[in-house]
Amino acid sequence: MRVMVLVKADKDSEAGNMPSEDILTKMGAYNEELVKAGIMLAGEGLHPTSRGLRMRFSGADRAITDGPFAETKELLAGFWIWQVKSMDEAVEWLKRAPFDGGTEIELRPIFEMEDFGDAMTPELKAQEDRLRQDIERKG
Amino acid sequence: MRFMVMVKATEDSEAGALPTKDLLDQMMAFNRDLIAAGVMKGGDGLTPSAKGARVRFDGASRSVIDGPFAETKELVAGYWLWECASLDETISWVKRCPNPMPGPSEIEIRPIGSLADFGDIVSPDVAAEWQQMKREAGEVD
Repeated sequence: MRVMVLVKADKDSEAGNMPSEDILTKMGAYNEELVKAGIMLAGEGLHPTSRGLRMRFSGADRAITDGPFAETKELLAGFWIWQVKSMDEAVEWLKRAPFDGGTEIELRPIFEMEDFGDAMTPELKAQEDRLRQDIERKG
Repeated sequence: MRFMVMVKATEDSEAGALPTKDLLDQMMAFNRDLIAAGVMKGGDGLTPSAKGARVRFDGASRSVIDGPFAETKELVAGYWLWECASLDETISWVKRCPNPMPGPSEIEIRPIGSLADFGDIVSPDVAAEWQQMKREAGEVD
């Protein structure tokens, strides 16, 4: 199964304060382990919400609100996508991550085709498979 | 420039409501357009937070909290990774997106950081190692 690991923001990340070299080194070593274990599929850091925006969809209306956004501890600062056997395995790996200082990280299982039920017809599934192959090919 | 485009949760998505075939068709067509334009680099739907968990880090201590989580409109229900020339281009693409939810919804756009943002903290050796790691993980620079 795949999970998304969501690293929540704090006032440092929202202020654009960079982590120390010590933390970066530890994170590099941790990411290395994730890659070697075949767990790491993707991972990125996001710029503070002051560089982001939100778009609201309501019927045919589209409305934009520029960042920054207020609810710091609910904002996203980064993410990983992991391939794991179970949520328990994901939790065990996450506990080893070099975060400290009151960080909160959210784990969310990713939808697979089977989860969509009857609305995901065989045609739609075949199309989804083709699209994912196209994404890989185009890189 | 790379962007993360996040579909925020609603009560419907948190209740496990699945998209209709009609919405799946529309989303598939939209994703096709994104791929043809070279914008789409990845994307997934996330299961409701009832199936998720959080790990709290405080010094050396780790505590696990099971979902669901309360702040529905701040939760993430799905995401894309896009490559666009600018924030404006990204916004134009998001405007073309079919409404991902049955009712009103919100999509958040966030520019993705690059190694260059860390400046002097990252030595050339660490930078090279980082790029190599991304290649091994199957990501493209």
